[in-house]
Amino acid sequence: MTIHEKDIPQKTDFTVVGKSVKRSDTLEKVTGSAVYAGDIALPGMLHGKIKRCEIAHAQIKRIDTSKALALKGVKAVLTHENVPHVLHYGSPHPRSASCTKDQYIFDHRVRYWGEGVAAVAAVTEEIAEEALHLIEIEYEPLPAVFTIEEAMKPDAPLIYDNGLDHNNVLPPVVVRRGDIDKGFAEADLILENEFDLGRPTPAYMEPNVCVTQWDGNGKLTIWSSTQTAFMVRGALAEVLGVPLNKVRVVVDHMGGGFGAKQDLFQHEFLCALLARETAKPVRMEYTRKETFLGGRSRHPGKIWLKQGFTKDGRITARQARIVFNSGAYGSHSPGVTNVGTAAMTSLYRCENVDLEGRAIYTNTPIAGAFRGYGVVQTYFAIDLQVDEAAERLGFDPAEFKLKNAVREGDIAPSGHPIVGHGLEDCIRRGIEESDWVNVRKTSGGSGVKRRGWGIGCEMHGSSAYPGIKEQGNAIVKMNEDGTVTLLTGTAGLGTGAHTALSQIVAEELGVPFESIGVVQGDTDVVPWDIGAFASHTTYMGGRAAQIAAADVKRQVLSHAAPLLEAEADQLTIEGGVIRVTGTNRSMTLKDAVAPHRGIPAIQLVGVGTYTPTKSYSFGAHFVEVEVDTETGEVAVLQVIPVHEIGKVVHPIAAAGQIEGGIQQGIGHTLSEDYVIDLTTGRSLNPSFVDYKMPLSMDMPPIRTIILETAPDPGGPWGAKGVGEDPIIAIGPAIANAIHDAIGVRFHHYPITPENILDALRETTKEA
Amino acid sequence: MKSFDYHEPKSLEEASSLLAELGKPASIIAGGTDLLVEIKEELRAVSHVVNIKRIAGLDWKSWDPEKGLRFGTLVTAREIETWPAVVKHYPNLRTAVSLLGSIQVRNRATVVGNICRASPSADTIPPLIADGAELTVYSNAGERVIPVEELFTGPGKTVLVPGDIVTGIHVPAPRARSGRAYIKHGRRKAMELATVGVAVSLERDGDTCADIRIALGAVAATPIRARTAEALLRGRSLDDDTLAAVAETAMQESTPISNVRASAAYRREMVGVLTRRAIGMAMGGIQ
Repeated sequence: MTIHEKDIPQKTDFTVVGKSVKRSDTLEKVTGSAVYAGDIALPGMLHGKIKRCEIAHAQIKRIDTSKALALKGVKAVLTHENVPHVLHYGSPHPRSASCTKDQYIFDHRVRYWGEGVAAVAAVTEEIAEEALHLIEIEYEPLPAVFTIEEAMKPDAPLIYDNGLDHNNVLPPVVVRRGDIDKGFAEADLILENEFDLGRPTPAYMEPNVCVTQWDGNGKLTIWSSTQTAFMVRGALAEVLGVPLNKVRVVVDHMGGGFGAKQDLFQHEFLCALLARETAKPVRMEYTRKETFLGGRSRHPGKIWLKQGFTKDGRITARQARIVFNSGAYGSHSPGVTNVGTAAMTSLYRCENVDLEGRAIYTNTPIAGAFRGYGVVQTYFAIDLQVDEAAERLGFDPAEFKLKNAVREGDIAPSGHPIVGHGLEDCIRRGIEESDWVNVRKTSGGSGVKRRGWGIGCEMHGSSAYPGIKEQGNAIVKMNEDGTVTLLTGTAGLGTGAHTALSQIVAEELGVPFESIGVVQGDTDVVPWDIGAFASHTTYMGGRAAQIAAADVKRQVLSHAAPLLEAEADQLTIEGGVIRVTGTNRSMTLKDAVAPHRGIPAIQLVGVGTYTPTKSYSFGAHFVEVEVDTETGEVAVLQVIPVHEIGKVVHPIAAAGQIEGGIQQGIGHTLSEDYVIDLTTGRSLNPSFVDYKMPLSMDMPPIRTIILETAPDPGGPWGAKGVGEDPIIAIGPAIANAIHDAIGVRFHHYPITPENILDALRETTKEA
Repeated sequence: MKSFDYHEPKSLEEASSLLAELGKPASIIAGGTDLLVEIKEELRAVSHVVNIKRIAGLDWKSWDPEKGLRFGTLVTAREIETWPAVVKHYPNLRTAVSLLGSIQVRNRATVVGNICRASPSADTIPPLIADGAELTVYSNAGERVIPVEELFTGPGKTVLVPGDIVTGIHVPAPRARSGRAYIKHGRRKAMELATVGVAVSLERDGDTCADIRIALGAVAATPIRARTAEALLRGRSLDDDTLAAVAETAMQESTPISNVRASAAYRREMVGVLTRRAIGMAMGGIQ
């Protein structure tokens, strides 16, 4: 085992990084002038709509579009009969191990209730909508399966013929270490449970939307709400049969994505094709209902987990069978299955592991990438069972988790030794902050309302390595007045990523934050980028920006050295002033780079490329709940999230990520579930009327604690990711707190009031 | 959104004849917070929308300790919520309107609109039934008064016919030693439809309950009275056994359905729990 030395630049005098500067997009957002893809309006623009099937599995026998085409104002109708029939990746990380190539723009077969079957472009949205009703489709129904159990039966209909049987999306992911039999033989206590996972969806504020336009030279421009502009460009070019220089993808601001907007959606292809067909710009925007039907949820499924424990509190064996429900297409199932399964090797130490992960096609809406990417599910199972083991063995759960927490140098899920581990710090700090030992003494009781405390832990990697070998890129240009322009391909989902990147550039260059401008999300302009996901934007994109800034700084200093009659390595830049170390000679950056009479401005362009491996961030959530034993309602009373994320670039933005993750996680654990009718495959709650996320009124006080105790040498000044972490630990923490309050252990989410009452009735019966 | 014809009558008489003439495909619009969503989502086919906001004299309100509360059909939910008379004397109605949608919605939505939409889960209806409120209905055929309790015939259905326009509502003055409460049960605290709503209005006489009305929302095809449960308590003392029997009876009187929001069994169970809690709150709030 190798333990990496921490090679972190020992910088302490930060002037911009670590400060909650005013976000660079504040003004345009509060004034409503920030431009989102849906705001683009072009002369002569048409409106596109998608007709969706109301059958879960069928062959299309006949489509008659004549009445729709005859409707005044309709300009084009597309079906599987007149779009390119090119098999493409569901998510456009080309040829990565994370995604499947199993989709067509339109197929002659539909595989889930709500799949798009035809598209219309018309002069108004209303006419397009009306035309959808005029398209006649005759289906030949096929047998459909909606659960993983049904889909895995030997006689189940095959939803996709990929050469694998039992509707497997990919060959099973198998991870084995040590000797599982020996591990169980050594155990004094063996726990075995099956965990049932609900179907939360990301419910981003901004529905999927794009606007497309072809110019006279056959070049497509698409403004789209996507996390992966360059990937969209690649997939569109491939399917449409045009070179990359004929596709330009633009994404300025986004209203969220949470991972799901890594996929390439039907409307992006269709909008491009409708625009080509009509020679007019076309706009397509999903309705809220379509973000459910045509969107991507978290993977539902089942996890069977068996672990062995010794009396002295060690984990000797961990065996798991994970089966994710992929829905009708593969999307990110390979990635989610790999990451979720591998994650189970870690968090709490165990030398003997035997894990198998699968993803199964069913005739239900598509599951895809979503904040926490398989790990939300598998750590829910592990943490709940470890919590129960602690109780059975007579340990305090927090002490037990601390005792078993992953350590420096342990092999991480990525297969690498962990460098910069912070889980122990998080647990210790949370125990202190919550006054854990004392508050746990007051739990439960026999009243109508009972309170309890729970702890949940997590770790999550920044970057998708080793599933995807990623690369972060940046270009930094210094203008002749000393101001700076950063060109980055990373998308701004709304997290403040571009502010963080600007802070890093400002810090590296020694200029004020306000000197930095950002150009983002235009594939014709900015350097290539893999997309904003995997908690890697600050870690990887930030490091690339830092490298590019350092490059420019070198150029500036070598230009300034003769002007200051010094060597470049004697020079520093602070607050926009270049100083010669050890002397009182200085000049402003502006003077150094500005044109002078007879001397033109010079080009100062720095390029940064960074190829990361992976770092891990850690978190422990301490939660107090109150359970109403008559109504079954669970109120989360307070949350103390403790996160170790290396160097914090923007404290308020980091805390915002954590609070948002907790809000989403509370919803997933207690109320959010996208429900599919198991007899027809129909979506039962594709709207915010019946898909209930917690709102501000439901949010408890959150006392966020961020630690910088375990920086990673990979990130800028040791910074690591924080995007996905906060949604992982909150679920187990709540479930464990419910147990502390009422003595019932649940093995599923969401845990609804009805579940609580049913369980309490069971306990009364048994007693 | 599907297109429709839009009308702006200037008087009740004009509106009534227009509505009578247009018949079922016409819908009155006041706040529009329900109607426009339903049209957009294609939940309701409407070919004529008749705006009554141009008719003078429908936005009045008055409070009198003897005569009670009266307000016109265009008074918004937010006005009711923030009206000191309501805050002081009708905490049940106050709670109900304050839980309807968001503040933005309540600034547009009208209480009468919430009633006439006739949703089984409408928040304002149970407290108004429990307080014995009545609607004044204008029609060119003549004006009449309909108790809120008698308005509903099914989900979204009322006894009103084309040409009828509810002009206002009257809630009787609270009697001496009376208390009232409304409890909404939902999956979250705001922006929510009631899974179960329970309103209780009662009068106390010494240790006994002199009179009581229990109204239940979202547990039958229309908001209902739990009359058998009420009868168990009327003239009786409020001991635990009686309360348990009342709760149990109210559960039996409800006929909820199962859907994605909750199962029928859970809704029925909540009728029991919340009826008991609402009686306790109403007793606690006696003025």
